Amino acid sequence: MGRLLRQRPAQRFLFNANGEMILASRNGTALFGEYATAKAFIVTSAFWMMVATFFGLLGATQLIAPDLTANIGGIVFGRVRPTHVNLVLFGFVTPGLLGAAFYYIPRLLGVPLYSERLGVATALVWNVAVAAGVITLAMGMTQGREYAELIWPIDILIAAGFLLLSFNFIMTVRRRREPILYVSVWYVLAAVVLTACTYAMGNVIWRPDSGALVGIPDAILLWFYGHNIFGLLLTPLSIGVAYYVIPRATGNPLYSHTLSLLGFWSLIVIYTHIGTHHLLQVPVPTWLKVVAIVDSIAMVIPVSAFLINIWYTAKGKLGEIHADIGAKFVFTGTIMYFFVSFQGSLMSLPDVQRVTHFNNWVVGHAHIGVLGFAGMIALGGIYYVLPRISGRPLHSRFLADFQYWMVLIGMVGFTVVLTIAGLIQGNAWLNGETVYRILTQFHVYYVIRAGLGLLIFSSSLLGFYNIARSLPAKRGASA
Amino acid sequence: MKMTPLAVVVGVLLILAAVTFVVILMPYAHTNQTVPSEIFRQRTAAEAAGRDIYIANGCVYCHTQSIRSVDWGLGAERIAQAGDYLADHPILLGSQRTGPDLSQAGGEHPDDWHLAHFINPRYTRPLSIMPPFAFLGDEQLERLIRYVQSLGLKAADARMARQAYWKAEAVRAYEAGPDANVQWLHDQIPQPWRDLPNPYPTSEAGLARGQKIYQDFCLGCHGPVGDGLGPAQPWIYPPPFNFTILKNREISGGILYFQIMNGITGTAMPYFKRELESEKIWDVGNFVAVYFIDDSDAGMPPKGIPASYEAQGEIEVSGSQ
Repeated sequence: MGRLLRQRPAQRFLFNANGEMILASRNGTALFGEYATAKAFIVTSAFWMMVATFFGLLGATQLIAPDLTANIGGIVFGRVRPTHVNLVLFGFVTPGLLGAAFYYIPRLLGVPLYSERLGVATALVWNVAVAAGVITLAMGMTQGREYAELIWPIDILIAAGFLLLSFNFIMTVRRRREPILYVSVWYVLAAVVLTACTYAMGNVIWRPDSGALVGIPDAILLWFYGHNIFGLLLTPLSIGVAYYVIPRATGNPLYSHTLSLLGFWSLIVIYTHIGTHHLLQVPVPTWLKVVAIVDSIAMVIPVSAFLINIWYTAKGKLGEIHADIGAKFVFTGTIMYFFVSFQGSLMSLPDVQRVTHFNNWVVGHAHIGVLGFAGMIALGGIYYVLPRISGRPLHSRFLADFQYWMVLIGMVGFTVVLTIAGLIQGNAWLNGETVYRILTQFHVYYVIRAGLGLLIFSSSLLGFYNIARSLPAKRGASA
Repeated sequence: MKMTPLAVVVGVLLILAAVTFVVILMPYAHTNQTVPSEIFRQRTAAEAAGRDIYIANGCVYCHTQSIRSVDWGLGAERIAQAGDYLADHPILLGSQRTGPDLSQAGGEHPDDWHLAHFINPRYTRPLSIMPPFAFLGDEQLERLIRYVQSLGLKAADARMARQAYWKAEAVRAYEAGPDANVQWLHDQIPQPWRDLPNPYPTSEAGLARGQKIYQDFCLGCHGPVGDGLGPAQPWIYPPPFNFTILKNREISGGILYFQIMNGITGTAMPYFKRELESEKIWDVGNFVAVYFIDDSDAGMPPKGIPASYEAQGEIEVSGSQ
């Protein structure tokens, strides 16, 4: 820090002497280097992916060996699980997708980011919030609501983070030289602006003591918020990356502007309606369940608009996609998006849900969505932009490829074993078996799941090493 | 359509506002008028404190509180109503049923069963994958038990009153000595069941099945040799029953069946009729009778028409009579 402060006057002199650089100096590039915010979020993502998948592995292990960590209160399963989920959502996937966005937003708009200084500060706030989340959850401080566990002070940090992101992106858009907003920009703007709202609303931040409403309205609000974490945060940010990477990697123009428009607006309209499909077997108003089911089926509109658009863009160029490890991750993510969306629409049907609700089927579904779709695309975004930020190839293309296969095998394996376990549970329950009676019947699938978790955790170690070695060795300030 | 920054940002915010009105505010107006259900009451301070411990330790990630029309098992006698949740802040419906639903867990077991179960769940439920909660310490465990025993609210209160009444009876009988205790236990069984022998003859396969059931359900309290010294024993009073004293005390297959089926309310002995169907209960009863009591009436008359699978010799003997 002292070294930085000493350097500042000299740099300012340098930049004052060069009219072109003044803007860069003011937005913090001089201090932090080019794409400093992108780098900060990429490192954030790679680091927390290790911690997040470790907690996943720990939880999976506890389910097969519950006395292994007996009476270590801080890592009792009920505290490990929310730590895993929050770290994946807010530590690994969201920052990874944002890291790519902080690269492509300035590129698409033809201007530097409004403020790299603000961006780096946002990343710092973000990391403080995530670290505080890990510590408070281990201490048993939780709001007890899925995806909304983090306590009020951390909620404020995260909501502030989304506001800072919104401000930075909007100001960058206002200063743009490129008049037309590309589709990726719409999605990024929508994601950060809407999530600032839904995060504050879903965490009931006007009630700091509990962060909850009372009774059934609390359940309705919680799942509205919970599903919007996927629908209005992970999905639009992932789609934004795909819309950037796939045309760039293939060299093809985007297939259809009309489909872009249809996909964007229908996603915002339809996805926001469907949270109550988590509550079909709960005494909530029937008309609300009908809305949730109808819109869950209607999700085929935004999903197919996006997929047709992106797949036709890639048509005939799969070789180019295969050649770029970033694009390979991203394209695989779009295939997983097809599966998770198709499955999700089916799962909203009451007859299907009678079997799938409350069991491991849903855990499998969540892993296709968050790891297979959004996580794959986050990693793809990182690997696509890293060489373009650093100006040199990835430290190891082989390690990135190896990580790709580890994540892919782990995630597909998860889906297979958890779906089997879920079908065993769901059908046995419907047949009148008690929960206790069938615990042993899916134990073997839990063992395989923990093995696959070890695969995914190991892949995150490789990924962190590879990403850290691929970053520019020095800050780009003096370039 | 021209996608200006204003169109994107204001457009999506307007959509979010409209959708929030439809899927949050309108249902709120609908559901916040919910009237209390017939089982609803407010929680006591101790129960509320226990609920905080339940939340802090993430019990909600494995235990639902949401009984559906398709459910069997613990609590399934009563489908959840909106009016059950009026004091739930936050609501703890849960999304995974790794353990049983706890909507109506209050009063299903006495407090001492819960204590042994929290110290280590495998002490009472050998196959459980729940973590041990001994680390919470006595004070917090007591609060957590108060909360669990309140689940079901007024319905739980009724069950707790029944537990308290029969606990006093069971303790009195236990403290009166083995003869009086066995007599008291037998007196609670309807006469036709007391007279009923196990209708299935002893077989190697039946004993093997019975042993499996015993290990999965009974061993934690009654112990590997049936002397009542399983790992849960130190926490439970009256202590788990010692089967080895039953010889020559007028035990019958019917008594064992009835007690396994219905449990002995007030003691830590739960009912198993939801988890075990008839053959499993007969088999585990006979396993206990053969190995621990050394006094089995399996296959003795009166037994009615033999089941079709019973050994050939049996059928011929019965047919010739």
